Parts: sequence; structure tokens; C-alpha cells
Amino acid sequence: MIPVRATFAKRRRAKYISHLDLMRCMQRAFRRAEVPIWFTEGFNPHAYLMFPLALSLGYESDCECMDFRLDGPMSMQTAMERLNAVLPPDLQLVKVAEPVRKHTDIAFADYSICLDCTEGTSADVLRSAWDDFIGQNTILMEKRTKRGTATVDLKQQAQILMTQTLEDGLWLKLRMPAGTSVNVNPGLLIDAFRAYLEQNAPHVQYGMMRAARLAILCADGSDFV
Amino acid sequence: MLFERIEPLLLNVQKPARYIGGEPGSIMKDKKDVRVRFAFCFPDRYDVGMSHLGMKILYSVINHRPEYWCERVFAPDVDFEAVMRAHNIPLYALESLEPIKDFDFIGFTLQYELCYTNILNMLDLAGVPLLQKDRGEDIAPIVCAGGSCACNPEPIADFFDLFFLGEGEEVDLEVMDLYDKMKAAGATRSEFLREAAKIEGVYVPSLYDVSYHEDGTIAALTPKGDAPQTVRKRIISDFDKVDVPEEFVVPFAEIVHDRAVTEVLRGCIRGCRFCQAGFLYRPFREKAPEIICEQAKTLCQRTGYEELSLCSLSTSDHSRIEEMMDGLLTFTERDHINLSLPSLRVDNFSTALMNRIRRVRSSGLTFAPEAGSQRLRDVINKNVTEEELMRTCKIAFAAGQATVKLYFMMGLPTETDEDIIAIIDLAQRVVDMWFGMEDRPKGKSVQISASVATFVPKPFTPFQFHPQDTVEMIAHKQKLLEETVKGHKRIRVSWHSPETSILEAVLARGDRRLGSVILDAWKKGCLFDAWSEHFRFDLWQQAMADNGLTMEFYANRARSYDEILPWDHLDYYVDKAFFIKENEKAIAAQTTPHCRMQCTACGVTKVTGKPCFPVQKEEKV
Repeated sequence: MIPVRATFAKRRRAKYISHLDLMRCMQRAFRRAEVPIWFTEGFNPHAYLMFPLALSLGYESDCECMDFRLDGPMSMQTAMERLNAVLPPDLQLVKVAEPVRKHTDIAFADYSICLDCTEGTSADVLRSAWDDFIGQNTILMEKRTKRGTATVDLKQQAQILMTQTLEDGLWLKLRMPAGTSVNVNPGLLIDAFRAYLEQNAPHVQYGMMRAARLAILCADGSDFV
Repeated sequence: MLFERIEPLLLNVQKPARYIGGEPGSIMKDKKDVRVRFAFCFPDRYDVGMSHLGMKILYSVINHRPEYWCERVFAPDVDFEAVMRAHNIPLYALESLEPIKDFDFIGFTLQYELCYTNILNMLDLAGVPLLQKDRGEDIAPIVCAGGSCACNPEPIADFFDLFFLGEGEEVDLEVMDLYDKMKAAGATRSEFLREAAKIEGVYVPSLYDVSYHEDGTIAALTPKGDAPQTVRKRIISDFDKVDVPEEFVVPFAEIVHDRAVTEVLRGCIRGCRFCQAGFLYRPFREKAPEIICEQAKTLCQRTGYEELSLCSLSTSDHSRIEEMMDGLLTFTERDHINLSLPSLRVDNFSTALMNRIRRVRSSGLTFAPEAGSQRLRDVINKNVTEEELMRTCKIAFAAGQATVKLYFMMGLPTETDEDIIAIIDLAQRVVDMWFGMEDRPKGKSVQISASVATFVPKPFTPFQFHPQDTVEMIAHKQKLLEETVKGHKRIRVSWHSPETSILEAVLARGDRRLGSVILDAWKKGCLFDAWSEHFRFDLWQQAMADNGLTMEFYANRARSYDEILPWDHLDYYVDKAFFIKENEKAIAAQTTPHCRMQCTACGVTKVTGKPCFPVQKEEKV
């Protein structure tokens, strides 16, 4: 039995697949591809598939991760080719390898967020509103967790890696805590920004948000996969 | 492609995966190689429409032709519809994400009368004129429909260029071939429609005039030009050889029936007098077990589904069912595939097979006696006896089940209060049997759910002449049920409000005058009428009144045998004379044996030219 860590891309049409739907989609892809995946034992055996870090609906990514075990005479490379042949073009494996790090090693994830300008708000106005927002001493937000809601200070949690004014919007790169113990969605920071604008600068608006995950990282800053 | 315009909007709606396509199994083609584009529209939400086998079959059949491209279209839910209208997004197809207005065919499947307003809404969202007469002489788009409700398309005749009657696998392609040829030659819409009407199974409503008597009944239906006086439905030439989908579009989002489905037989031998499907889909044809197994296996492999279901009106009427089940179980057990078996009578199975099925999955037991008393079951020709019900329940109880769901109807012809009370009596006898069983499952308690639907008389059944019960009659019977069930702790009864069934009855047996009613109801805001949270009976009543019509005329009126019915010019192989004979027998509470026991001379063999069942030697003894 060979443990495999697959990296896959989720783009365009595939970014609207929810995490639950993605798991079902992958299970079926293994059947279609006739890749000998290991089944759990017990009363109701099912294909063992593990996604260490879920991706929010609407986010694109080239660095999603999925673990499984090969339970038959097939190389990882062949398994990847066979899976890609039955997966939609917007959902494709890009790499397979033996897992090195443990799931619990995941500590951060990097994101790219683009906020589009709307009519009436120029990129410069949006940028300066953002600078004011992020310059606050604390940015408190309610976060839903499995055990109810908790207040987090996003100022402490979010690292701003880059802020760039575009012709028609604002481009951010963020590093957020990720993993099994603490996980903060960058969408929460954007929600906080929207709430801040409503409170302090109602004339400033932004349109669509384009979001992508750029990397899944360990505590030492190295790539998880 | 509308992708760039749709994308910013999708994250603000529920379950966006329904609106963006890209699923495994969806067919992409290069527009340059495609000559005819077909938008297959299901007039309900994605999760309902994606469960429909007919769409998967025709999607596959059309897309097998490289020069034709069939794409899927569903009714957007109300939240996305509002977004589409606010941002001027026209109704688009899920594969190309291109507006269906520019397609060659816009084809709807008609599964249920209460989806008619959704059709108008989808045409409106697409930007296509709703009325056929307003579409002009450009050949495209041809707005067409098929499916079971096409057997009486008169209420929606104003909106369609043509209807497909019967099975679509072959006639759809013939019509597309004709279109392909005539479009290239520069033909107009009416030229094309006149030619299409010559193909068997194609009904072009604009080629007929209907006149009415003063009492509202039909005086005459007159074909224009050389349109045929009657239009006969199509059936496929060879059920074993017909093209079946080797793969499905496998959705990301969960849908109602999310599994592989293999069709095992078409038609029904039973002849239940209330059942439209039992007459519409004649003759009875079954697939050979080896073909069923091969097709099911391929489908499971190509879709990756972990569940397989069999589709038919009555799977247990397959003459080689044990062989078929054996073959299916052989690969489903090996590949960890759940086999689910709807419409299956378990009482004639061997214990060995029962045990294997149970090991695969134990889903709840359902049984449809349809009527509480034996007399009324004889009237409707539902040839199940109480003994069979008891035997089936006993097998299921012995196997560890404790809940049984029973389906009944109320408002059946000749029904009395005694028949209603008999529903509860019958359910109680199942309860009594449970308590009489020594080997009943320990630690469980028996629960009988009796679901009682309001009967809707349908075209092409012996009951097409009957009035539907009035609201008052149904209310009385529901109250009687409620009182009777008191004190029966193990029995739960459920029913729906009758308004939906009344509208269904009106639309099912309606004529062309209902076209303006449907249009007005939609304009007043009626949509998703099949969904109780959207259903607005009051608006429908207004729309009827505005057009000088009454629901009673269509729902609660008895038709005489010599009345011209709105669907009399459509030929579904079964003779009107047969329906009259069956109705007479119903009133006398006489049963008719099923087709395998004895040919009922319904009219089918006159068209097919051969008996439905070869007479076998051992049966002659």
C-alpha cells in the first residue's frame, strides 16, 4: 500500500464546487479512473480520501491537497494520469508524491485577493480606505467555530504580504493562520473591511472579490506539499 | 460566452454549482463543427431535472451525432432568476454558457402539468416570444416539447411549434435531420413545420383549428392543408438495440436521485385503470438480462456512481428477474455498489435472493394498494389482494423491518365513505399481524404510514371520462379519515391540500382555451406551481375567471363517450373503444387480467402487427 499526496488545481467553473461536493466528486473520479484506492474496513467500507485543508466556495487554487492510498499495482504517476482523464478540465491533479509532512504541520496559507472598483470609487480611494482600515490597532470580528462564536483580532492574525493598487482595483496578498487547530478565512478580513466601510466611509464601495489560495505552509514557512 | 458576466453574480446565490456546468460527463463541442444546436430544457430546478432519465437518454442520443450539440437548461431558482433579470443575463445552456435564444431547437420535457408556468418563464428569460404565432418566419429557434404530458398538449399548444409524441430516441433525430436540410435550403418556419408534420410522432398544433359548442365542449378539430387528421405516437424499433447513455453528466451538487439508473423494461402489463403511464407507454417490452447487466456495469464504471437503481413501471414484471438480479448483484457486491430497487414486489422472490438483496441495502418497505377495500381495488383494476400485502409485510417484518409505507388515493370513481374507512381498517390489519407474529423484530415498534393522494383523472385512461371529486367531497373524505384514524396509535395518515390536484386535473384534461389562462397566471406571478411554498391557487382562479372559464368545467364534469376530447386526434396505440369498455367494467367492479395472462385487445397489436407476448408452450397446458 502506497500513501499518496496529490496536489490539484481548482479553477474557473470548478471553484463553485463546495467542499462536500468536491469529496464526492473525487470519490467518483477514482471509480471512473479505476485507480485501486484503499477502502476503509468495517461495516460500510468506503474509499479513503483525506483533504487536510478545505477551500472556501468561490476560491481558486493551484495548490489544493488530497491524500489517499494506492492499494494495487499502479504507480502514482499512472494514477494521476488516469484521474486527470476523468476529471473536468477545471479540476486537475498537478503533482503526486509520497507525503512528507503531517497534516498537523499545516500552520498558514497564503491568499491573493482582488477587490474590483465600482462606479464612483476609484482605485486610489479604495486603497486609502484600505490603508486606514488596516492601520487600526485592532480589527475585531466574530468568528463561527464548531463550539459557537468567538471574537478574533484579525490585526493579530492576518499578515499583509503585499498591497498593490491596480488600474481598477486593489490587489492584496495575505497570510492567514490555517490548519487543524486555528483556521482563519481571509474572507473574514474582507467582511471586516466591508463593515468598516459601512461605518466609516459609506461612499467607498467595491464590487466583486476574486480570491485564490496561493500556498499551504508549515510553521517554518516551507511548503506543505 | 456569458462566463465573465455570470461569475461575479454566482457567489450571491444558493448552490451556485447548479448554474455553471462543467460537470464530469458534460459534453463540450467546438461550435465550428456543429450544425444544429438543441437546448434541452427541464422546466424545474437543476436538482429535479438532473435526476430525470429521459433527459440523459436524449442528451446522449443527440450528442452521439458529431454535427449536433445538445446542451442542458434548467429553471433557475427564484434567487438566481432575480439576479439574472437585474443584470440582463439571458437564459443560457450549461455546456457552452451561451444564450439559448440563438439555438436551433429549444426543447422542453413535460413531466408534470404544474410546470407549465415555468416553461413560459424560461422562454421569457431566454428572450424568445412566448406565443408561437409571434415567432415570425425565421426557422430558428423551433420551440418543441415531448414527454408524458405531450399526450394532451392542447393547454400549451399556443406556445409550441411542435410536439413529439411517444418515445423520442429516433423521431428527435429525424426532425433535426429535416431541419438541418431545410435550414441549409433557406426554408421558413412554417415551411419546416409543414414538412415536419409528415413525420410520424410529430404534432404541429398550429396546423389545426378547433371550434367549440356553446356549452364549451369541442365541436370539431380541423387540420389545415395536408396535416394528418390523427397523429400517432412513436415507439422505438428495437428496445434491446436502442442507444442508451453509457455515461451521465455526474453533478457536483447533490440532486434528488444521485445515482446510476438502468432502464429494464418499458410499458406495463397491469392495466390499472387510473394509471396514465400504464397505457401511454404500451406495448410492454423488456430488455434481456445480459444486456441490462452489461449496460448497468458500463454505466457504473463510466460515472463512478456508488449506487445503481433500476427504472421501470414495475420491475418485478420482468420475466427473467431472478436472472437479472443475480447478474447485477454479482458485480455490485464486488464493486461496493448499492443496488436500490424501487417499484419491486418482493413476495415472489426466493429466500436466497431476498437475503442477498437485504445484505446490499435495507431501505424502507413501500406498498401501493391504492384503495382500502377489495371492491374499490377491483374497480381500479389494481390486482393486488390483501393476502399479497400481508405476505409481503410478513416477509419484511421477519427480516427486521418495522415501518411500512402504504400509498392510497381518494376520490376514485364509485368511492363511498366505506371505502375510505377501509383504508384505516386495512392498515390496522397489518398492525394486528405484526403483534400476532412471534418472530417479529425485538425492541422495535410497528409504524404504518398511509399516504392518501387525491385522484386526478387523466387522458388515455379508462377514467378519462370521470369527474374529479369536488373540494367539498375531498374535504369530507379527509375529515372522515382523520376521525377514523383516531385511537389507531400505530397508524399515521397524511394527505395534501386538494388545490394542487384540482389544477392538475384542469390542465391534464384541458383544451386550447387554457393557453391564455396559463399565460395570465404566469403574468400574475405563478411559478413553480408544483412547490407548495410557491403555489398560488387564488391567482389561478382569477386567471380562469378573467378568461370566462371555470375549473369545474374541466375538473368536475363527466364526459360522455361521444364527446370530442381535446386529445382525441392523438393516437397512443390504445383505442378509445377499449377505454370505454374498461370504464364500463370498472363501474361494474369487474377486473381485467394482466396482459401476460390474456390479451385485452387494447388496440396496440393493430399497430405493431404482432402479439405483445409470444405464446409459450408450457402456458398452453
